[in-house]
Amino acid sequence: MGNIPLLKVENLQVSFELQKGSVQAVKGVSFSVEAGEVVAIVGESGSGKSVIAQSILRILPRNANIDAGSIHFNDPSSDSAAVDLASLDAKDEYLYELRGGRISMVFQEPMTALSPLHTIGNQVEEALVLHHAKTSKEARSDTEEILRLVGFPNPSRGYEMYPFELSGGLRQRAVIAMALICNPAMVIADEPTTALDVTVQAQILGLMKELQKKFNTAILMITHDLGVVANMADKVVVIYHGEIMEAGNVEDIFRKPQHPYLKALMAAIPHFDMKDGERLVSLRDAGKSKSSDTIHKLAGKFKTADVSESNGPHLKVENLCKEFTTNKGSWFGAGEDNRIIAVDNVSFEINRGECLGLVGESGSGKTTVAKLIMKALETTSGSITLNSSEGMRDVVDLRGEELMRFRRKVQMIFQDPYSSLNPRMTIQNILAEPFIIHGLNDGRGNQDDILDLLKLVGLEPHCLNRYPHSFSGGQRQRIGIARALALHPELMVCDEPVSALDVSVQAQILNLLNDLRKELGLTNLFISHNLAVVNYVADRIAVMCQGKLVEIATKEQLFANPRHPYTKSLLAAVPYPDLDRLLDFENIKYTSSMEADDWGDAFKPSQEAGMENIKIEDGHFVLANCNCNVSELRA
Amino acid sequence: MITYIFKRILYMIPTLVLTSILVFTLIELPPGDYFESYVNELRAAGETVDPKLIEYLRNEYGFDKPIWERYFQWATGMLVGDFGYSFEYELPVSDVIGDRLFFTIIVTFFTIIFTWLIAFPIGIYSATHQYSWGDYGLTFLGLLGLAIPNFLLALILMFLANEFFGTSVGGLIDPEYIDQPLSWGKFVSVLEHLWIPVIVIGTSGTAAMIRRVRANLLDELRKPYVTTARAKGMPEFRGLMKYPFRMSLNFFIADIGGILPTVISGAEIVAIVLSLETTGPILIQALQSHDMYLAGSFLMLLGFLTVIGVLISDIALAILDPRIRLQGGVSR
Repeated sequence: MGNIPLLKVENLQVSFELQKGSVQAVKGVSFSVEAGEVVAIVGESGSGKSVIAQSILRILPRNANIDAGSIHFNDPSSDSAAVDLASLDAKDEYLYELRGGRISMVFQEPMTALSPLHTIGNQVEEALVLHHAKTSKEARSDTEEILRLVGFPNPSRGYEMYPFELSGGLRQRAVIAMALICNPAMVIADEPTTALDVTVQAQILGLMKELQKKFNTAILMITHDLGVVANMADKVVVIYHGEIMEAGNVEDIFRKPQHPYLKALMAAIPHFDMKDGERLVSLRDAGKSKSSDTIHKLAGKFKTADVSESNGPHLKVENLCKEFTTNKGSWFGAGEDNRIIAVDNVSFEINRGECLGLVGESGSGKTTVAKLIMKALETTSGSITLNSSEGMRDVVDLRGEELMRFRRKVQMIFQDPYSSLNPRMTIQNILAEPFIIHGLNDGRGNQDDILDLLKLVGLEPHCLNRYPHSFSGGQRQRIGIARALALHPELMVCDEPVSALDVSVQAQILNLLNDLRKELGLTNLFISHNLAVVNYVADRIAVMCQGKLVEIATKEQLFANPRHPYTKSLLAAVPYPDLDRLLDFENIKYTSSMEADDWGDAFKPSQEAGMENIKIEDGHFVLANCNCNVSELRA
Repeated sequence: MITYIFKRILYMIPTLVLTSILVFTLIELPPGDYFESYVNELRAAGETVDPKLIEYLRNEYGFDKPIWERYFQWATGMLVGDFGYSFEYELPVSDVIGDRLFFTIIVTFFTIIFTWLIAFPIGIYSATHQYSWGDYGLTFLGLLGLAIPNFLLALILMFLANEFFGTSVGGLIDPEYIDQPLSWGKFVSVLEHLWIPVIVIGTSGTAAMIRRVRANLLDELRKPYVTTARAKGMPEFRGLMKYPFRMSLNFFIADIGGILPTVISGAEIVAIVLSLETTGPILIQALQSHDMYLAGSFLMLLGFLTVIGVLISDIALAILDPRIRLQGGVSR
């Protein structure tokens, strides 16, 4: 049987019935997967890569149709000939046997892919009960075994837990267990690590690779992340608008990319070896130089007020703390209040015109810091000093009129361009609103200003009367940036501004933000979980972990010489789209430093000694014990 | 869990006290009292009234006492089952309501069951066959049920029942069983009469319920865990019942608290048209004639049922949904 592949997709065509006719999502795709092989399908959102996955299992939405082509699945455990899955009736018995039994699936979002009302054990063993008719006792012991295998510390306890009681990483491990429990011939993994933090992603990728070798399972991996591809795949299929652009061995794809699309995709990803002043080349970026020119022309109008450099940092944050109280539901005060320290004694400075990158994983407190600076939350203790054109001012106790004036100086760009624009307001109204709120230009907003704002972010004037839903994600983010610029702010807080965007669009937005900062003299606080992105835009980088700022340095210092164990594990976990710098999965498994207990004596928080920012070199500080050996840290 | 239920029951006490204050204030609000309207009625009939007798009655029933004292008497009386005295019926309130309460509960119970039996299958069909002819047709029927006034439907069904089944029109039992002790025959007779009010009261609720089942289930059907179940090889119907349907149930359980009082009060006008011996007609009459203890006790009863309904739905939710059971509230 050696020459018949496990899965052979030929000339697959899928279309969606819409009210206005039909749209072809997959246009004649052919590829094959051998037993025990990892094949990656790479593409941007809307490229049709998930549709291919759903076609194989025949779980397409009801309005989708397979118009032509075949999907031959050759089950190695049965002697019968290969079955064409595309030609089977939607209710064919074989499909129910196949799903979860022979081909299973791992999904992107582990929270929503699991039912919140059923225990982990119930959902994991379901496939086993459906396909192998085990008794509940057998099923339970098999389930606990697979949970142990995917890294549940206490499988029998995990069996009885509900998804919301687990961390994101453990949830994804449960989803993987669910896919592997029947020992399928192939697993389809649809963006399996996209929703996870970078260190967890590295662990999950390592786990998938380990289990894939152990069970000799084929994996069809669907992803947009070339870094993940380089680390996982044997073969790569690059897809764009439902068509295969290029396919081949991972070696060929990364070392000798042929197709212009693939080359462009590679150039659009920020990486760590970028030279100073090197720009990302974004796909479909028609007038790159034109947009820079426009910004340059308009810069005079929007330039922030010039303040002499002499009077210190632009923003100074000192000993910032924020506590939240959660309450274990009780009406009579019997439940004790739980205090959570979201931001713990954070201090940093940002110089005028500088971009400080703030890096951390979910829950590290980076967004809370941004909200405190914006005064969207009340500070528990500490000070935030803004050195604006009106002089030094502690932001923490601003009230009334003063607060309104402060709000003009500091503006925010949000993560999700879909929910941060009001769907019921036209672009005209969205851009005029800042002027109205602040009573500028007779409370109406000047039409010239609004048009210039649009030009500044590279949008056409005819966009003004349209609503947000008619724009793409990248265009919406441009609108968000224009809105933030309306009041001529001095400080821009960018909270993960590109994490919801595709790679090519991400490059455009990052270039725009860089140009704007340089031309308008803005100061940026750039928050991101993506180290490569921060490396591209920031001058200095601060790393946050569990509410504490553990390391701050210039980006060159941080990447060349990380000191804190957490920074080190963060850097070690980034998947590079580069075959010569693969992740060290063995090491990641044992040296992940998420917990403070693993940090070594010098970095472990201790009550008696207290923590201090130790200077490593000029501008490079790391949070460590007061009584640790400083020269040892520096070495 | 036990502590949760215990706390939940404790929480009912202040709610009921507040309700009773509110109810008492409301029935005290209209100018005058029962005796005034009684006197007016007699005068209108051309009879003379002895003012002394009225004064005596007022004194006897404590109407000259301050309002908070009367409230206190009424409220504490209810705790030991003394709901006060109905002037109109010249009977203790509990005797007036007692039998009727039994019928009310029967009608309500069957109405809710009827609503669910019809609404759930149709709602599930509509959601899983969205925009099909079946969906449109059933939706149309449901809207028709919502639009037809209850009293009209009651009249039509009464006519049909009398014409084709020979069932005596009006009431919940055949006249011969009135004031008879409970027997098999009486029970059958109740069932014979029950279907008209159940259908009449149930239709509008059913139509609304179909729309809600459909909307809730449609929301759940789009969730990724449904795809997960399909990818595991789950047969469609079993998957539907185990995951999205179970999720969409939350809403209806949360709704039980609201259903009880609406069904009861929605039934009142129908009860008059069909002359059912439920509590509805009494309430309306008592409110008209300032029969304050009767009306007050009745409103209190509605309040109590609501609180009980909410309690049941809260406990059922906690049992069904682990998120409610295991996660504490988070406040800022």
